[in-house]
Amino acid sequence: MDFTFTEKEEKFRGELRGWLEVNLPKGWLQGDRKLSDDNEHYSKFLRDWQRTLYEGGWAAISWPKEYGGRDATLMEEIIYHQEMVRVQSPPLVNYIGIHMVAPTLMQMGTDAQKEEFIEKILTGEQVWSQGYSEPGAGSDLTALQTTAVKKDGKWVINGQKVWTSFAHLADRCFLLTKTSQSEKKHEGITVFLLDMDQDGVETRPIVQMDGHQEFNEVYLTDAIATDEDIVGEEGKGWAVLIALMLHERSGIAAQVFTLEQQFEQVIEMARTVRVNGCLLIDDPFVEDGLADLYARINGAKLNYYRNITHTLKNGRPGPESSLDKLLVSELTKELFDFAMTIQGHAGVLTNDDSIFDAEMQSQYLASFGATIGGGTSEVQRNTIGERILGLPKDLGR
Amino acid sequence: MDFALSEEQELFRTAIRKYMNDLDRTEAARAVISGKLDVVATATSGLAEMGVTAIPVSEEVDGLGLGALDLVPVFEETGRVLLPGLQLETLALAVPLLEAFGTTAQKATRLPKVASGESSISVAWYERDGSLFPNSFSCIAAKTESGYALTGTKTLVPVIGDPDTFITSAQTAEGKSLFLVKASDVASFRTLSVLDETQQLAKITLTNAPGELLGEPGHATDMLKDGLLHFNAALCSSMVGGMDELVKMTGEYAKIRVQFNQPIGRFQAIKHGIVNMKLDLETARSLSYYAAWAVETNSEDKAAAVHSARSFISKAFIKAAADSIQIHGGIGFTEELDVQLYLKRARYYENYFGSVRDSRRVTAQSLGWHSTPAKRDAVPVS
Repeated sequence: MDFTFTEKEEKFRGELRGWLEVNLPKGWLQGDRKLSDDNEHYSKFLRDWQRTLYEGGWAAISWPKEYGGRDATLMEEIIYHQEMVRVQSPPLVNYIGIHMVAPTLMQMGTDAQKEEFIEKILTGEQVWSQGYSEPGAGSDLTALQTTAVKKDGKWVINGQKVWTSFAHLADRCFLLTKTSQSEKKHEGITVFLLDMDQDGVETRPIVQMDGHQEFNEVYLTDAIATDEDIVGEEGKGWAVLIALMLHERSGIAAQVFTLEQQFEQVIEMARTVRVNGCLLIDDPFVEDGLADLYARINGAKLNYYRNITHTLKNGRPGPESSLDKLLVSELTKELFDFAMTIQGHAGVLTNDDSIFDAEMQSQYLASFGATIGGGTSEVQRNTIGERILGLPKDLGR
Repeated sequence: MDFALSEEQELFRTAIRKYMNDLDRTEAARAVISGKLDVVATATSGLAEMGVTAIPVSEEVDGLGLGALDLVPVFEETGRVLLPGLQLETLALAVPLLEAFGTTAQKATRLPKVASGESSISVAWYERDGSLFPNSFSCIAAKTESGYALTGTKTLVPVIGDPDTFITSAQTAEGKSLFLVKASDVASFRTLSVLDETQQLAKITLTNAPGELLGEPGHATDMLKDGLLHFNAALCSSMVGGMDELVKMTGEYAKIRVQFNQPIGRFQAIKHGIVNMKLDLETARSLSYYAAWAVETNSEDKAAAVHSARSFISKAFIKAAADSIQIHGGIGFTEELDVQLYLKRARYYENYFGSVRDSRRVTAQSLGWHSTPAKRDAVPVS
């Protein structure tokens, strides 16, 4: 067992840290981290940030050098996430493009697709969304009903997508459609690289329970795509989707480190806020609850390290890595639930009236999304039960 | 980054597991229940032959001088089958106490016999009120010409497999102190009725029993706390072994038990219940590895590492056993199935040398949560 980083890894960390200190938006490190509510400003700010990352060579470190990446090792990738979380860097607007779409295109895209999209994804010139879920296809993605029908050499797409992250900012969409009806539900699915800038695509933002608008409904009415927009083979989109999901070799590094940081913020609150003259942390109920959360959050991080070790030794993640998402998202919810409880009735105050930091209130609300998005906790448990414990498959699947 | 046991440690695990299979797994624990106590001695000498009893003993006194991480596979595998015996108390508490605080002569007299498996040592700490850190002990150690004479009653003393020595706490003029007392010098001895029948606890009475001072007088509590870091790390591994077996057992049952024309593991209520056990198991395993690593490397956060592991795993072991009984249904409620043995063992360990609450308090204190808070500022710049 060894938790130290090599000299080379520490040098990498130092380089990134130095770069961030110089290049983060003005005032960011000093705590001026509020993002604009105005969509246009927000979008411009994030695109500018990605451009800055690109120019510094920090936008896609795990990509091969030939595509403008750094060929980063897994450990460098983990350090990258640690450092980005440490400075609470602005979100990567083209996360989907960089971490999912481009690596998939590198693997199975045509030369023309690589030529057309990969560089623009890297620079942030082209922002991507992913069109998966539909009103009738949530956890059961194979029930999707958006159709693509070939007419006069073009594909005509009709249907509705929902929960489409970044669609309101996106130029392109990694879109799942049905191109044929098949007995087998994983067949007949085709992935298109859809141009969002056309009359047949209408995007309506969805207001979340925390007030943010991060995802959208996307209405497709005779939207047009071409053969050149298909990824992989027509009708074999499910395989493309699986390939895409396997590109996340560093797993949920950012969420793990974010959870650790959020826990420290809750500790700080407990060591700062006084109730009846007494610090929250000195209340045995608070101390006990936080020590319990410390154990479990640390345990989740250590699980992640154990899984990373497996990847380092075997070249790919072991089955247990599928536990990470479930654990971390559930713990995030529990952490903020407890953070709300210990603030007492004053915990209902938010924004400038919050008794410590309105992050407690907004992160509490945001935490409910984590156990739903990217596969609900229930679906995660089915998967773990079946794939790792070998329990029989659920009926209907 | 390398957060895994070494290849040698994993190989050693395989060997221990094989030996546990040779002992017919939980049959050894069941033998104790039916009064066939010779299995304890058999297992101890078997483990000694494999070198287990020499692991934590330093090389100068005929041991292997290995660390807490080398005990992880041992205790996971013995814990998996609820092996009865004093391995935890001897190897993970008495040995660290003797190694840290014993004189050269004390070590030379006792540790070679521990390493060879001839001797096991228990700890007589608790008194009638069951408090782990009492204000004072009612057992008194009076100074004599040659040493000390101890008089008083100790309870909850583990005695399975006939330990030849008790590390005993008693009050002296300086305060709470530790002594080595020979088992043959105990005046009277009554075994207690224990919920976990695979364990044996006794109430022992000392009447001017000769005691050899261990460490500085007046420092019993600090010494015990130090020893308990080793003990708790090992105890966590043992509980992880038990949890692992519970997850396996419950999963297997859910695959073969058919109701409503299908294996019950297909139902999400059952499936998700077992997955939750698995989640706790993985967290427990990670925490226990880290605790052992922290003890072995004497890392700065070792108290938090050990006590956060202990608090989580004590609870999780009980929950895993309780959930396993429920998922097994009627058969889970029977004596015939092993699950009840795990539940009783989990309950036995819950407050053994410290409660969940105690461990959480230590976690908070050792992380400095109660000191004056630092001023809140922006992200620290390197």
